[in-house]
Amino acid sequence: MEATEKPEGAETSAGLRLCQLGHEVSVPAGARIVSQGEAPEFFYVIQAGRVRVFRETADRIQTNLTELGPGAYFGEVALVTGQPRSASVEALEDAKLIKVSKEEFDRLLDHNPQLARHIIQQLANWLVAGDRRVEAEVVHQVKLRQISWFDYVLMLGLSLVLSLVVNIYNDNRIPLVHGWGEKNVIPEIALNQAEEMYRKQQAIFVDARKSAFYSQQHIKDATNLPVILFDLMYPMFQFMVAQEGKDKTLVVYGGTFSRRMDIDLARLLKHKGLEHVVVLKDYTGWPKVFPLQEKAATTPGSLDLGFAGFLEWLPVSIFVLILIPPIRRSPYLSVFCRVLLAAIFISFALSKIMRPAVFALNVVDYNLTPAWGVNLWSLALPWGELVVGLFLLLGIRTRAAATLIGAMNVIFIVGLVNAILHHMPINCGCVGEVGEPVNWWKVMKNTGMLVMCIQIFLYDRFLVLDRGGFIFRGRKI
Amino acid sequence: MKKDILKLGAVLGLILVGLVLGGCGESRSQFAGTYKSVEPFGGKDYIDLDLQENGKGIWILAGKTVEFTWVVNAGKIFIYTKPGAILVVTPTEGGKILSADMTGDWHPGCPPGSCLTFKRVKDGG
Repeated sequence: MEATEKPEGAETSAGLRLCQLGHEVSVPAGARIVSQGEAPEFFYVIQAGRVRVFRETADRIQTNLTELGPGAYFGEVALVTGQPRSASVEALEDAKLIKVSKEEFDRLLDHNPQLARHIIQQLANWLVAGDRRVEAEVVHQVKLRQISWFDYVLMLGLSLVLSLVVNIYNDNRIPLVHGWGEKNVIPEIALNQAEEMYRKQQAIFVDARKSAFYSQQHIKDATNLPVILFDLMYPMFQFMVAQEGKDKTLVVYGGTFSRRMDIDLARLLKHKGLEHVVVLKDYTGWPKVFPLQEKAATTPGSLDLGFAGFLEWLPVSIFVLILIPPIRRSPYLSVFCRVLLAAIFISFALSKIMRPAVFALNVVDYNLTPAWGVNLWSLALPWGELVVGLFLLLGIRTRAAATLIGAMNVIFIVGLVNAILHHMPINCGCVGEVGEPVNWWKVMKNTGMLVMCIQIFLYDRFLVLDRGGFIFRGRKI
Repeated sequence: MKKDILKLGAVLGLILVGLVLGGCGESRSQFAGTYKSVEPFGGKDYIDLDLQENGKGIWILAGKTVEFTWVVNAGKIFIYTKPGAILVVTPTEGGKILSADMTGDWHPGCPPGSCLTFKRVKDGG
């Protein structure tokens, strides 16, 4: 830095006076008076107007150092040290300056020890102030890199509270735990007993799963009544039961870990007044015991997701970008990753938030969540995606946010790979609507997002609103 | 600093408004009306489908009424039932004919055996 206020002694010393030296120059507003890096030739004293002193990096990030007005001077540091200019100076308004050459400046110092002492004093002050600024910046950067449990509690807590509150006022609300407090206990039947009834044709077997699962594999001659379409299809089912015989036992079976389909359907049938309703006890054992009708798995069709679908492909670009070392570590890439992940997660979250029941059934499809956890997960996850996405976008607690998004992606990848390996005829359910296919491309997109999270975790430090203030281009110190 | 935060807030607001509006779907007016299934469901009874312009709808089969909500997105009708089912309905002939995929998923050809065809009997909802 090379700028300061004019010392009183500069004009009152016994030796030369500033006003006796140099020549007056006029500078229009916006003109560059001194450029960082150039060889020093002059010392300046401001007579009128204001100037801005700043440093600028190669990639044009400017740091404002100070503003000076009438009576102040600048340009002395480079003249004293003989080094190139350490900062640039630009006129903020039309200014009048006294321009003193290096020879005149040296003569001035020789004849004006008071001024020389003042300049030394100023240089020493700047050194101390510079050390403090370096320390503040280091502390800020360290704090920026810190993550604490509070960050996670803040984001997860906010997601949980919002999900619970909004669910109360949502027309499509769902209970926190599905089937909690249901009095209707459905009797279970052992596989061997059910098989005997099947042989004697004493029972109607009802498959409660979605029709894609039913088409893939079901007990021979079983009827499909998907629990999600119960309201729409029950009248037809009623006809069928009337034809087959009202006295026959209805054996309902499903096949999901959460028992969401079979127990729900059995309860609904009981509510409709059907007496003899039972569920299979071993919900996964029926394929080994009963004769089956099977068909090769067919993936449900995929609908165009539009802009969201396009966005989802962009994370794949990270596999190319991380191969280029300077880009791999770039904070600009972190900003790109943050904005992209935020856009994806926020848009996907908004599509799920208002219809938690739809998303809950997608969660059931993956067959990885216990009954008590399905609704909680379906309520909290979209809000988690939204809250963490917003934190990423705003640049708040970005490392913790990246960790959470990364963790979500790990869970999604596990679910997708499990579904692919088990040939599950399901859609992803990521956007809350039908149509997004589950395949290895989808796994790759999620892996790309995971890599982006790691990049953010390691290198994000720009455009962040975090501890210590907002870091932006042209930041002021 | 304050200006930067205001600008950032404005951009974020615009993004959120865009996303929310984008999620509202397209106009329903073209498809609002009363429809009847072309064939009896399961060979037993016809289904009446009433799509109201306010996004509500009624499905009537064998005297039983089921209420639902519906939106139009990418030229397709999405019917949402309370328990969480989605029926994807593909309109043809300018909305006079509707093909409903009763699998709860969407298949390009609306699978035979799980496809219900409806014909418009009255415009408006």
